[in-house]
Amino acid sequence: MNNKFDALKDDDSGDHDQDQGSPKDSEKEKIEDEDKEQNTSKKKMVVPGAGEHPLQYNYTFWYSRRTPGRPASTQSYEQNIKQIGSFASVEQFWRFYSHMIRPGDLTGHSDFHLFKEGIKPMWEDDANKMGGKWIIRLRKGLASRCWENLILAMLGEQFMVGEEICGAVVSVRFQEDIISIWNKTASDQATTARIRDTLRRVLNLPPNTIMEYKTHTDSIKAWEDFHGLVNASGGR
Amino acid sequence: MRRFQCRTMIASLLFHVLYPLSRFLTFRSEASKKGLPPAQADGREVLDGGAVTTRKFNQSCTTLLDLWLSSSSEMEAEKKERLKEPMPEKECDTGLDIRKDQLTVLSEESKEEAFEVMWRVWEEADESASAAGPTPKFLPYKKTTMDFTVMSYNILAQDLLEANQELYIHCPLEVLDWSYRCRVLLEEILKWAPDILCLQEVQENHYHGQLYPALSQMGFTCVYKRRTGNKTDGCATCYRSSRFSELSVALLEFFRPETELLDRHNVGIVLLLQPVVTKGSEIKAKGQPLCVANTHLLFNPRRGDVKLAQLAILLAEIDSVVKSCKVKDEQCNIILCGDFNSLPYRPLYQLITTGELYFQGLPAWTISGQEDHSYKVHYHKLEAPLWPSSLEITDSCQYSNVKKIFKDQEPGKHQYSHDFLLQLRFCTAARVRPPDLELIPGVTDNTPDVSRRLPYIKRFRHTLSHHLDLESVYKHMLPGSGNPEVTTLHSEGAATVDYIFYTPRRVTSDQTAGGETAAEGLVLKGSLTLPSEDVLWSMMGLPNHMFPSDHLSLIAKFQLELDSA
Repeated sequence: MNNKFDALKDDDSGDHDQDQGSPKDSEKEKIEDEDKEQNTSKKKMVVPGAGEHPLQYNYTFWYSRRTPGRPASTQSYEQNIKQIGSFASVEQFWRFYSHMIRPGDLTGHSDFHLFKEGIKPMWEDDANKMGGKWIIRLRKGLASRCWENLILAMLGEQFMVGEEICGAVVSVRFQEDIISIWNKTASDQATTARIRDTLRRVLNLPPNTIMEYKTHTDSIKAWEDFHGLVNASGGR
Repeated sequence: MRRFQCRTMIASLLFHVLYPLSRFLTFRSEASKKGLPPAQADGREVLDGGAVTTRKFNQSCTTLLDLWLSSSSEMEAEKKERLKEPMPEKECDTGLDIRKDQLTVLSEESKEEAFEVMWRVWEEADESASAAGPTPKFLPYKKTTMDFTVMSYNILAQDLLEANQELYIHCPLEVLDWSYRCRVLLEEILKWAPDILCLQEVQENHYHGQLYPALSQMGFTCVYKRRTGNKTDGCATCYRSSRFSELSVALLEFFRPETELLDRHNVGIVLLLQPVVTKGSEIKAKGQPLCVANTHLLFNPRRGDVKLAQLAILLAEIDSVVKSCKVKDEQCNIILCGDFNSLPYRPLYQLITTGELYFQGLPAWTISGQEDHSYKVHYHKLEAPLWPSSLEITDSCQYSNVKKIFKDQEPGKHQYSHDFLLQLRFCTAARVRPPDLELIPGVTDNTPDVSRRLPYIKRFRHTLSHHLDLESVYKHMLPGSGNPEVTTLHSEGAATVDYIFYTPRRVTSDQTAGGETAAEGLVLKGSLTLPSEDVLWSMMGLPNHMFPSDHLSLIAKFQLELDSA
C-alpha cells in the first residue's frame, strides 16, 4: 500500500490500460510527503459568498494528464495531477465548472477528479484506504453528460449515505471513457448498494450498462501484480 | 338514548307539519324566475327560496336539533356555556315551541334563528355515493373514529366594505355596521361549533380587538397572517385545542419582490394538526396528521396567471408538509379551503381537483372565469414558463429545492436536486472567472456559453400539475332545480368562489386486508347546504340581518380513524 503516485490512474492500472506506470521511488515519496504538508499549510478553507447556496461539504477539482511524447513509465501520478480549485457553494462550483472544458472535449489521456476538500484523489489517502469505487465504462460521447449528472448528484447530497462519499473521477481514454465514484468503506454493502441505485437513477443509464465495484485494495494489488511489485513493502 | 328518541320525535313532528308546506314552497320557487328584482324580505316573499329547505327535510331537522340539543357530546362544559347564549338552543321538552317559532316566522315576520334553520340546511352526506369504497362499518374490525367540523368563511373586512360601498348599495345601513356584523358572525360560529375555522378577510384590528378574544374563549387556538403591503386584513385559522395539537405552522406570503409576476399582497396559512382524543391530560387516541391550508387568492379577474402562481406556492407548501409526514411513515390528510376567487370547473379549480392543467395559450381571464373578457381584442395569454426558476417551485407545484422539504428531518443539511443546481448554472456569480483558476489551455479556458441558458429555463412544461388528492365538499349545483350554488353575492353578481377541498377516503389493499393501520383519507359526513342566487336576493342580498358577510360560511363534517395512543 505504498504507491501514492498511482492511485489516480486507477482505471488504467491492472485492468486493461497498460501503458502507464510509475517508478517505485522512495525519494519521490518523501518529496510528495513534503508537498502534502506544504499544501495543507498554505490551504485556505473556502467559504460560501454572501447569499450563495452553501454545499454540505467543500470540494476540490483536480485535473491529471499524461504528458504526451514521454514514456509512461517515467511519469508519476503526483507529477501529473493538478489542483484546479476549491469551492464551498453552488455558485462557486458553477464558476469553476463553466470555465472548464467538458470531459468529452478533452484531448489525450486525461482525468477530472472532484473530491471533498482535504481528501486526495489517491487510494492511500486516509479517507480512501478502506474504500472502493463504482466504475462505469461509457462509450464515447456520453462522458460529458454523465459526469455532470454524477457530480450534481454528489454536490446536491443525493446519495444519502451520510459521510461515505469521497469523490468522483472521469477518465478520458482512447476508446472509451470511465466514470467512477469513490466511497470510504468498501465493506459496507448497504452503502455501496445505495450508491449503485442512486447512480442508476441519476445517470439515466441504459439498462444493460455494466457497473462494477472495486475495492482500492484490489486496485493496488492489481497494479502491483502488473508491475511486478507483489513483494513491495505493504502499508505506510 | 332518551335524548335520541326525543330528537327523533321532534324531527318527525317537524317533518309532518312542515313537509306539506315545503312542497308548496318548492312549487313556488320553481315558478319564480331568475332576474326578477330582489324580493322584499317580508315573510311572504322570503318563501320564494323554499326550494333549498325541502331537500331531505327530515334528516336536516334531525341534524339541526342534534346540534341544538347536544353540542359535541364529549364537551359538556362547552355545552353549558353555549346554552347560556341567546341562541335557539332548546331543551328536549321545548321542541314544540321550536316548531311554533318556525311556523310563525313562515307566515309572519322574520326572526333570525328560524331563518337560519330555513335558509341553511344541514345535509348528511350520502356515504354510499361519496365514499369511494367500503366505510369502516363494513370491515370486520371496529376502528374508533373522530368526527370534526370545518368552517371556511370570508367574513368581509370592514375596510374593504367601506372602500367598495357601491357593492353594498342594496343593504340597509345597519347590516353594514361592524359591531353588528361581528355579533352575528360570532353567533353563527357558536351555532355551528366548528372544530376548525378558516377565516378570510379578517381585519387585523378586529382580529385582536374582538374576534381573537371571543374565539379563544370558545376554546380555539388561532393563527393569524395579515396580508403584506398596506392591506389591513388577512387570514386566520383556528382550531379547538381540545381536539387538535399543533405539529407545524407555515405562514405564506405570495408577494415576492424578486418575481415580477408575484406582485400582489395575498397570503396563506398551512397548519399541520394532530387529531387527539384526550381524557384529562392524558391522550387516549390519535389520528393521522391533518394538514389544514387556508388562503384568499387574488381577486383581479384578469390575472389568472397570478392566481395560479399563488396557488402553486400554497400547493408546494402542502406538498412539503405531506412529505414531512411520509418520512415518518404517516399518511397526511388534507383540508384546503378559502376564497379562491375562481369559479367551479374553470382552469384553476380543475388544477386543484384533477391535479393537472394544460395552460399554454389560455387567456389569463379564463383561469378563474369570474368575468367574460372574450369580447376583447387583446388579452394576455399564458405561456410557459409561468414563473421563473428562481421561485424554486416546479411546474408540478413542488419545491425544487429539496432542502426545503427535508428541513425538518435533517437540520443544516444542504441538499439540492439536479434541476435546482442547474438553475444556478448561469447566475451572475457563476459567470465570473475565479481569480485563482490557472489557465491551462484545453482544460480551463472554456468560456461560459450564456446562450445555453434558455434550454434550462424552458424546462417548465406547458402543463401544471400536483400530486395531492383533493375533492370539493360542495358539488356547486343544487339538486332538483339545477341552479348553481352561491357562496358570495353583492350588487354586481353572485358566484361560487369559496371551497372546502379534502382528501377523500380511498380503498387501499391494506384496508381490504383488514390491516391495523388507520385508513387513509377522510369520510365526508355532511355539509351545510348553500342557497341559489334567487334565494339570497329574496333576503335582500348579502350582507343581511342573518348573514353578516358578502360571502356565506361553508361547513363540512368529516370523519377520520383513530389509533389508540
